[in-house]
Amino acid sequence: MRFTLAFATLGRHRGRTVLAVLGVAVAFAMLLDMVMLSSGLRASFRDLLLSRGFQLRLSPKGTLPFDTDATIGGAARMLATLRALPDVVAVSPVLGGQLHIPRGRGAVTSFALGVEPGVQGDYELLSGHDPRRPDELVANDELLRAAGAAVGDTLTAASGYDAQLRTMSGTRRLVITGRARFLYLSAGQSAAAVPLSTLQGMRGADAADAVSLIMVRLRRGTIVEAARRRIQSALPRVDVISTSEAMARVDQRLSYFRQLSYILGAVSLVVGFLLVTTLVTVSVNERLGEIAVMRAIGVSRAHVVEQVVLESGAIVLGGAVPGLGLGLLTARYLNHILSSFPGLPAAIDFFLFQPRAVWAALGLLALCGVAASLYPAWRAAVHPVAGALREEAIA
Amino acid sequence: MPARRFPFLTPGSTMTALVLAVLLQFTAPPRTIAVDARLAAAAGLRVGDRVVVAANPGAAGDTVVVGAILARRADPSEITRNAYQVRMHLDQLQSLIHYGDRVDRFAVATRDSAATQVALRAINDAAFGFQAWPSHEIAAETSETFRVVSRFHRAIGVITIVASAIFLLCILLLRVDERRRDIAALRLIGLSRSTVLRSVVLEAAVVSVLGSALGVLIGWGASGLVNAYYQAFYDTPLRFSIITTGIVLFAGVLSLLLGLAAGTLAALRLVRTPPLTLLGR
Repeated sequence: MRFTLAFATLGRHRGRTVLAVLGVAVAFAMLLDMVMLSSGLRASFRDLLLSRGFQLRLSPKGTLPFDTDATIGGAARMLATLRALPDVVAVSPVLGGQLHIPRGRGAVTSFALGVEPGVQGDYELLSGHDPRRPDELVANDELLRAAGAAVGDTLTAASGYDAQLRTMSGTRRLVITGRARFLYLSAGQSAAAVPLSTLQGMRGADAADAVSLIMVRLRRGTIVEAARRRIQSALPRVDVISTSEAMARVDQRLSYFRQLSYILGAVSLVVGFLLVTTLVTVSVNERLGEIAVMRAIGVSRAHVVEQVVLESGAIVLGGAVPGLGLGLLTARYLNHILSSFPGLPAAIDFFLFQPRAVWAALGLLALCGVAASLYPAWRAAVHPVAGALREEAIA
Repeated sequence: MPARRFPFLTPGSTMTALVLAVLLQFTAPPRTIAVDARLAAAAGLRVGDRVVVAANPGAAGDTVVVGAILARRADPSEITRNAYQVRMHLDQLQSLIHYGDRVDRFAVATRDSAATQVALRAINDAAFGFQAWPSHEIAAETSETFRVVSRFHRAIGVITIVASAIFLLCILLLRVDERRRDIAALRLIGLSRSTVLRSVVLEAAVVSVLGSALGVLIGWGASGLVNAYYQAFYDTPLRFSIITTGIVLFAGVLSLLLGLAAGTLAALRLVRTPPLTLLGR
């Protein structure tokens, strides 16, 4: 009965109801996007950091990994210290640099990583094999395309230029042994990985015993924060960063998006609330005589209130269904825009679909719907029956 | 560095000069550096303080004097990095970090844009291992963060406009619907459909214009709040929100058009309905 009456009321003004449902759909889409934005970046970044099982990262003091060109000197001793620690299972040193591959009159320049292939956590091999020998490298598709090369080809690559002598420095002949996808690179960035000793040698004496980053995998069950503190006190020249610490720093840098998501999410809720409140209030005002008749023939206040709440709920639910699809579509589009955010790995999603986000958005919208129906429901319940009947008769 | 020879000095006076030079080196005042205000605040530095700067934590460094504290520039490329900054004399930094006779970049001033193009061509023709760029391209490249954020804002703006349009349409439909009895009465006393239509559309236009004016005021206030908050948050003089005449005109015209469309739609529905039906007879 209540459902029938609520739906009959909504069906009486189809145009208005369709507009209200559309409005709620857009508001819900925006709300869903903002809930996804507020939590997605963190979850996505956390997944990325932990994807290769390294819980700690050591970077030059005062910097985040690869934030600057700074390197960690005396790497061999540091690595030995780390490997001797009982909590440490694996240590992966990484040196960053550039590779210049002569092509025509110019050169293709690419980001280069010096890694220990057996423990590296920077790329996923798509085909071929890791660079096991000093004259081997793996490259991503962007670099292979730019250099016009394929797996099995041999390239001449340099790590720098000597502008005074007009020659390339640190030149090597390297065989491409595999195609790889680099996990922490921005979209479209070309990259290659070579053995650590190769890149150290190419970069010259300054980098002979240097690395840019050391990743540490801890024994299962180790308390990460305790291990971080132990390593930090053993190696005070570097910053030891745990996953949660890295996330906190990225949070700080990208706090703008989180704040924006809170603001726009709140605006969406307010818009949805106002829309539903206005429509249901007007609907109740138009039906005050009808409601008075229902009350006069014995329908309880609770019944009237339930009917108004159901009416509001139907608009909200009707808007949530198309809003879900619209929200996912717009999230995909917005994520595509933000995927070119400078300095962030392309693998990070700003808008990450998580069932929890959908439930959170639905819960908020349901609360908003209930709140929006409170005023019109109260008005319908307390409106004097006799007065309303008289007004209706006069009208 | 090879010792420089002074032909006008005898061997004896050369030794005296060398001793003097060494003494001067020991007694020479430390060189100065400039630190940015954020670092000065965090480290409690003031002009005149002596500090030791080193390439690595714990390594031997140079003692220098804080000669100036700098306000941060309005540089979009630095907005998310929020790194501390120290400015030193070039030769001192080269020596400190063992950088040799190298620099990361040169800035070249030219007379005019034509001279800029000539200089660019000349430098790039002769360049090996480096490239010359015009300043506007560097600015565009370093503003990539803001360009991405702008694209994101535009997309959000489109969604907001769609939501606003639906909201406006709903409100105006309801407003006109509420007046169905008045409109029926007007029609019954002889007012033509077109007069009723014009009056409803005019009312919608007035509501839209008044709403837009109020919206501009709210937007202006919100823009001020956004700037105040984010300038403090990122410690930068950059302006995050700017209200231009173009933006005001765009929002106003869009609102007016939406209002007119909604008013016309709602009014057409009413004037096509017989007056007695509007009265519920």
